[in-house]
Amino acid sequence: MIDMATLLTIVLMASVTYLTRTGGYVVLRNRTLGARATAVMEAAPGCVLISVIAPAFVSKSPADILALAVTLVAAMRLSMLPTVLIGVASAGVLRHFIG
Amino acid sequence: MSISQTVEAAGDGSGSEFRRGVTSCAPVLFGTIPYALVLGAQATQKGLSTVELSMMTGLNFAGGSEFAAIQLWTSPPHIVLIVAITFLVNSRHLLMGAALAPFLRHLPKRKVFPALFFMCDESWALGLADAKQRAAAGITPAFSPRYYMGAALAMYLTWVAFTTLGALLGPMLGHVETYGFDMAFPAVFLVLMRGMWTGMAAARPWLVSLVVAALVYLFVPGAWYVAAGAVSGLVAAWLMAGDA
Repeated sequence: MIDMATLLTIVLMASVTYLTRTGGYVVLRNRTLGARATAVMEAAPGCVLISVIAPAFVSKSPADILALAVTLVAAMRLSMLPTVLIGVASAGVLRHFIG
Repeated sequence: MSISQTVEAAGDGSGSEFRRGVTSCAPVLFGTIPYALVLGAQATQKGLSTVELSMMTGLNFAGGSEFAAIQLWTSPPHIVLIVAITFLVNSRHLLMGAALAPFLRHLPKRKVFPALFFMCDESWALGLADAKQRAAAGITPAFSPRYYMGAALAMYLTWVAFTTLGALLGPMLGHVETYGFDMAFPAVFLVLMRGMWTGMAAARPWLVSLVVAALVYLFVPGAWYVAAGAVSGLVAAWLMAGDA
């Protein structure tokens, strides 16, 4: 079943998301950026990604902080798949034993 | 017409370019599955039906904003709040599209606009990294549309299928956090960030983002920490570019 308010929310979410996906291309297709704008653009993806996962860095659970530290070390050295496996396994094991 | 013919001629066999995209995306897909299951399960706990959740992930296809939306979901939903947060979380796409734009100049708009629907962090990162490598190797055009679409469609189908599965299994999964699957999310993001790493100086805005986002998360209710962290990092990048 589909609720009307839910449907409206989803359609609006999808619309603004598509605008963000096409907006950068539409505006910058025929332009080159200055030094400052380029610096901002290069920093942007990382700034967003780290902001999204920031809560994990201030978790009140010692097991979660330790697991994050393990994951961070893995992420600096290994590729995607082993890092994900190590992250998930360390979180599962540490939470089981430390809580 | 000559433009698209040039593109197709430049690929070393279109099927293999598509397959190369799918293959390079495979480890990311694996990391995405638990995260998709968690989203689906959380959505049903918030009262969304499976159909509604599939529509959200299929039409919106932007995981971060979907997690934020589900976190903030009430019945009925606060439409303005959720749409505003969706925009803020996804505003990074503006910058990602801008970074990709120079590589898309040889492509017709009727191909670019549908392709951009599938631009997510992962397909963007893979497509851009591949284009830079090909440019360095002297291959023109540097951007391989079929490679990008291979990665993007693999990501899309995995995302929609496993969020739907999560919604169906939701009542059985209970709290997925207990098993540590939620750590897949920081793990994927940290590896993506390592790929973007160009040195300590360039990473200073990230540190600003991390500190601000963490503080806002601790002291301000809601999902504002993503926007606050991202914006302060960008301001820091702007200011630091001046003294470099």
